[in-house]
Amino acid sequence: MHPALYVSKTGLSAQDTALTTTSNNLANVNTTGFKRERAVFQDLLYQIKRQPGGLTSQDSELPSGLQVGTGVRVVGTAKEFTQGSLQVTEQPLDIAVNGRGFLQVLLPDGNISYTRDGQFQLNSNGDIVTANGHPLEPAITIPENTSSITIGTDGTVSTLVTGDTAPTVIGNITTVDFINPQGLEAIGNNLFRETGASGDPQEGTPGLDGLGTLEQGMVESSNVEVVEELVNMITTQRAYEMNSKVVSTADQMLQYISQNI
Amino acid sequence: MDKALYISMSGAKQSMLAQRAHSNNLANVNTTGFKNDFAQARSMPVYGEHHPTRAYAMTERPGTNFQQGPLNETGRELDVAIKGEGWIAVQAPDGSEAYTRAGDLQTDSNGILRTGSGLPVLGNGGPVAIPPSAKMEIGADGTISVIPLGQPADALAEIDRIKLVNPPNDQIEKGADGLIRVKEGNPPAVIDGNVRLEPGFLEESNVNAVESLTEILSLARQYELHVKVMSTADQNSEAAARLLQIS
Repeated sequence: MHPALYVSKTGLSAQDTALTTTSNNLANVNTTGFKRERAVFQDLLYQIKRQPGGLTSQDSELPSGLQVGTGVRVVGTAKEFTQGSLQVTEQPLDIAVNGRGFLQVLLPDGNISYTRDGQFQLNSNGDIVTANGHPLEPAITIPENTSSITIGTDGTVSTLVTGDTAPTVIGNITTVDFINPQGLEAIGNNLFRETGASGDPQEGTPGLDGLGTLEQGMVESSNVEVVEELVNMITTQRAYEMNSKVVSTADQMLQYISQNI
Repeated sequence: MDKALYISMSGAKQSMLAQRAHSNNLANVNTTGFKNDFAQARSMPVYGEHHPTRAYAMTERPGTNFQQGPLNETGRELDVAIKGEGWIAVQAPDGSEAYTRAGDLQTDSNGILRTGSGLPVLGNGGPVAIPPSAKMEIGADGTISVIPLGQPADALAEIDRIKLVNPPNDQIEKGADGLIRVKEGNPPAVIDGNVRLEPGFLEESNVNAVESLTEILSLARQYELHVKVMSTADQNSEAAARLLQIS
């Protein structure tokens, strides 16, 4: 069969994957702490039909051979951990990381996952939990009758209990950093999991050792750029259309030869 | 038999090969740093006891178009594009040195700087390793400087320099893995201080989509012409056979 059919098929499926990535970014344009992804394209192997430099005689060689490519594929999606813009919410339990670093969340299976989504709430025990009810790690419990909660830029949590005159420090929020955040595995619910590619988590105090500071009363918006994604969508669509044109052209060629010979 | 039948068969076959080369270009219209391939046909005379009027076609890939692709702003600190001529040296899976224009870099868990497809980027002495750092900058000449973790902003230190080369275009070729290498028999590429990087940008594919698509459509028509000649050659030999039949 016509090889161009298969080559343009790889083009179609790669553009499909790119469009899925773009539409996932756009769908999460308002998701707190979301980090956009980009599809990484790579050309596939080349087939050597005639070896360049092959000897045509004892004294002469082919100046150029024939190598035909076999198409394209998406080798991966790269998460882009650029900072999203900070949005003021005035909620005492909203925390944004300004700079590098992830907040830690304890999953029900005992593993720790990492997030940039700092919209926390209290559960019935007074624990600070995510919107899905997973507790913050290290766990922080707010005592009863608390009239105000203050979270410092270095993660110190202090509360003022009604009747007291001075605030009490009840815990410290630590953040972790990875040498390669792009290697983190996104598991949905705004959470990431450590992998072999990300390296080990390095825990630290916010504001020190290159870690970003914590900002109370703010959340980090998604870092998706709407205009950029829409432009990506247009180029992806046009590349898709042109590859599908090649499929139909190759098909017409096969049809033509089978009808005319 | 008239050799025209075989001649037009070779034409049809070779235009299918050429079409595949063009469709590969078109499939890579969105691939970062991709350089499009040329395809051309060469004539190959049929030798023998007849008038030298027949020539077979042979498709060739005379080379790759190394023209600069458009630069696309991404704003990511690890994205680099080469402005003008030059190549980024990477280590191919077989350990050899190869060149690419795809500058979508990232670091792995050991801090090794890699391209988007996972190949280690070469520096002054082997693959570039980035220590844990608070901030990293890639300069226009490939110099990588970092603020090490826990250090103030004035502790910016140069750690390595990406190996940038610029061998002449006639000494390099695209290999079977899509990477560029120095052709055999040519001197290995040396560091060229004039190659300029543009951090925060990526180089797009230099495929001209309209040109590739037009080429594909025109090859499809040429193919139909070859098929037409095949059926004409068939009719000719049929007529000749009918004349020679003993009635």
